[in-house]
Amino acid sequence: MKIVVAVKQVPEREAVLRVTPDGRSIDESDVAWTMNEPDAYALEEALQLKQRAAEAGLGEAEVVVLSAGPERVQSTLREALAKGADRALHVVTPESGEGSLAERGSLDVARLLAEAVKGEQPELVLTGLQSDDLGAGQTGVVMAELLGLPHATLVLQVEFAGQGGVGRRIKVRRELEDGWTQFVEVPLPALLTIQSGGNRLRYATLMGIKRARQKEMRELSAATPTQRVDEVVKVSPPLRLKQTEMLTGAAEEIAAKLVERLRFEVKVL
Amino acid sequence: MTAAGMLVGIVGLRLNLRLAEPASLGLGARVLLAALMLGSAGLFAWRGAPIARAIWGSKKDTDLRLRPLGRRGWRFFWEVLCQAKVIRQRRLPGLAHALVYWGFLAFALVTINDLAEGFGCDLLARAGAFGAFYVAFAGAWALLVAFAIAGLFARRFLARPKWLGEVSLESGVIALLIFALMATYLAMLVVPQRSPAAACLWWAHTLVLLAFLPIIPGTKHLHLLLSPLTVFLKRPEFSQLSKLEGDEEFGLVTGKDLTRIIALQAYSCVECGRCTEHCPAAATGKVLNPKEVVLGVKAYLNSYGPGSDAPLLQDEPEGRQKALSMPAAFACTTCGSCEYQCPVGVQHLPVLIGLRRGAVNTGAWEDRYGTKLFLSLERQGNSLGMGAAERDKFIAKQRFPLFDGSQEYCLWLGCMGSYDPKGREIVADFARVMQALGTSFGVLKKESCAGDPARRLGNDLLFGELAEQGLKSFAQAGVKKIVTVCPHCLRTIASDWREYGVAPEIEHHSEFMARHAALLERLMVGEQGGSVVYHDPCYLGRYREVYEPPRAVVAMAGELVEAERHRERSFCCGAGGGLAFLGEEAGDRVSHGRTRELMETGAKTIGTACPFCNSMFRDALGEVGGAAPPQLLDIAQLVARRLPAQALDSGELKG
Repeated sequence: MKIVVAVKQVPEREAVLRVTPDGRSIDESDVAWTMNEPDAYALEEALQLKQRAAEAGLGEAEVVVLSAGPERVQSTLREALAKGADRALHVVTPESGEGSLAERGSLDVARLLAEAVKGEQPELVLTGLQSDDLGAGQTGVVMAELLGLPHATLVLQVEFAGQGGVGRRIKVRRELEDGWTQFVEVPLPALLTIQSGGNRLRYATLMGIKRARQKEMRELSAATPTQRVDEVVKVSPPLRLKQTEMLTGAAEEIAAKLVERLRFEVKVL
Repeated sequence: MTAAGMLVGIVGLRLNLRLAEPASLGLGARVLLAALMLGSAGLFAWRGAPIARAIWGSKKDTDLRLRPLGRRGWRFFWEVLCQAKVIRQRRLPGLAHALVYWGFLAFALVTINDLAEGFGCDLLARAGAFGAFYVAFAGAWALLVAFAIAGLFARRFLARPKWLGEVSLESGVIALLIFALMATYLAMLVVPQRSPAAACLWWAHTLVLLAFLPIIPGTKHLHLLLSPLTVFLKRPEFSQLSKLEGDEEFGLVTGKDLTRIIALQAYSCVECGRCTEHCPAAATGKVLNPKEVVLGVKAYLNSYGPGSDAPLLQDEPEGRQKALSMPAAFACTTCGSCEYQCPVGVQHLPVLIGLRRGAVNTGAWEDRYGTKLFLSLERQGNSLGMGAAERDKFIAKQRFPLFDGSQEYCLWLGCMGSYDPKGREIVADFARVMQALGTSFGVLKKESCAGDPARRLGNDLLFGELAEQGLKSFAQAGVKKIVTVCPHCLRTIASDWREYGVAPEIEHHSEFMARHAALLERLMVGEQGGSVVYHDPCYLGRYREVYEPPRAVVAMAGELVEAERHRERSFCCGAGGGLAFLGEEAGDRVSHGRTRELMETGAKTIGTACPFCNSMFRDALGEVGGAAPPQLLDIAQLVARRLPAQALDSGELKG
């Protein structure tokens, strides 16, 4: 069994982000990077499936981790190898300008990843539900479409299903609104987008990092970008809107002031 | 009568004392004696050789430096020759042990002479002035040793303190042999020369001696031979962890990872149980027993020999090796009482933390809380899992200036000082003390955890990343001097970071305030507060030997009271070794015991010098503090409360 996990490298949650002068992307020069959190859960699910496949007598499963981006994404791929992935595929894109990630839309990135997946012929493709930076939630489902695979989204857990031909079908638990979950059976091969929090992530270990150095990291060249169908118009930091003003005076005065504000400034009365 | 007085008394009698000589031995007897001596030595070598192989065959300690020899020499003199630690930590039995030890040294000459005599050679020239003196001198020691060993025998077999473990037959035999050696010697002083009685006594004395020798290897009495070496060769620093080299070192995973020093220390263990007696985990019913851990290493080496591939932590270990378990290793608060107490130079922390390193660096340790802590450190860079923006807000609210190279000190906040509500109060109060003194300081714009919990829990990957990051941020900011309220950060930055580079000079706020005591006292206003019981944090006391400065600070603010266990013997609060993050302990809580002990002093205030201790006592007081719990304050808060209000509220802090 082979599982491909597509991961994205995103700015760390604590990173201080600055918007570029053109106002359409963020300045990447001083940013610390990390693995997109839902992708980390996708990787964890893949690693646990690998273990469960071995326990269920389905043979040795291989976990291949895949990412598209410039040189820097190799640190995230290494982290995945350290946590237990068997090998890595890196679709190399330029740091900036023509063909860089910033210039490519979700569709284009999904194309890059789908192309790499095709070469592997995996039974299962996992990726995060969405990215922590752009949050479009498109890449996974578009990839499924491009690969002609059935897919399920918002998946928390995966198990092997079906009798006899164990492993030909999987049963997944999907998260619905308000604490509801749904179980769906999906035939393999399939693509799943994974929701955060379904598993407990593992910590990186020294042995993992040292072993990762000997694992294969194959670089693939990226296809030239296609015409974007969407366009980023503006990126802006969240505006701070919370303001507190203390009204003073006697109770009657305060009440009068409050009514005035609510009527003319907030316009809710 | 004191030992010295007794000695003088006996030496005064020397004219009346003569050691009875046996009639000289015939050829047959001499051959028999030679055969017995060879047999004894042979048996000793036969029993000792596997031990020597286990020690020498273990991995070489690549980081062991003998220099500076002066410090090692002094420790040898003080701890071995003077038996200072043995006596100091267990007064009466310690003194009894010292008497036996000194008696053995005094007897060395007598013993050599005794054997030489069998072959008709009186090396000591007993008829001469020196010989006569020495016979009497040894006689005095024989009396003292006989008394002492009888006392130790009574303690072990009648009083039976629980720390000594199960009654050991071997100890009884050894005690009887020692007593017999002394009794036969003393008897030889009173029987007539060349009498049959003298011959009988001589043979009895000699046979006991020859029986004693082969018993030594393979028993805890091996400490007679090994512990002087062990004390001399000890790693120079407290809780010193070795650097992991190459691609195959992850800590203590198999026998291949045990070093010569670890093996030597394991075979030196005298099973006195001081380590376990003082262990906070053992005292509160946890599975950890530091003595059995050391004996577990010895049992492992006995079963598998050196360099074995067998895992140190096994699923179903047998016998003494049972004590080597993952739950035991992770129950340690790394308070270091065991290592401090050990009279024969065993260093428990590198073993306990070594086992953790082996388990964590290979991913074998699975713990919900531990994983959460590591992920917080990986992703948020602090142990409390908070967003860095929270620290920014705190800094802004306190109006702490950012360190820009122009200030004298960099005030290191640490995770507790940055994110914990009480830790923040401590930092804020200390900042006010610095401000009142007119000392310029700034804080780093961004700070990651110094790596203490990662280091103590054995996560070398994470610790290395945090140390490198920390070193880089100090270098970039141009920091020369650091001051911190947290002893864990202090120890980690000052000692553990050395594996990755040289950190700027760092000191604890107690040292800083004690140095400025004179000025602070001039600034202080109002009445002295009431009584304050000071709790020594493990990482400031045993780890750094800082005992006086915090006491000097407490004395400025109130009347210093000591808890029953203080200074080197201070009892842990339960937070160390990353345990503050590992969820509620099974069984009794270490912090509750210590809090009760501090409350028993009747002091109005508990004075702490570590934000972790403070946090543990804060929770414990809620449980065991009763209706009127004592106040709980950091020493910086004690000082800040006595500074005049205008010094505290003068707005902008000095940059």
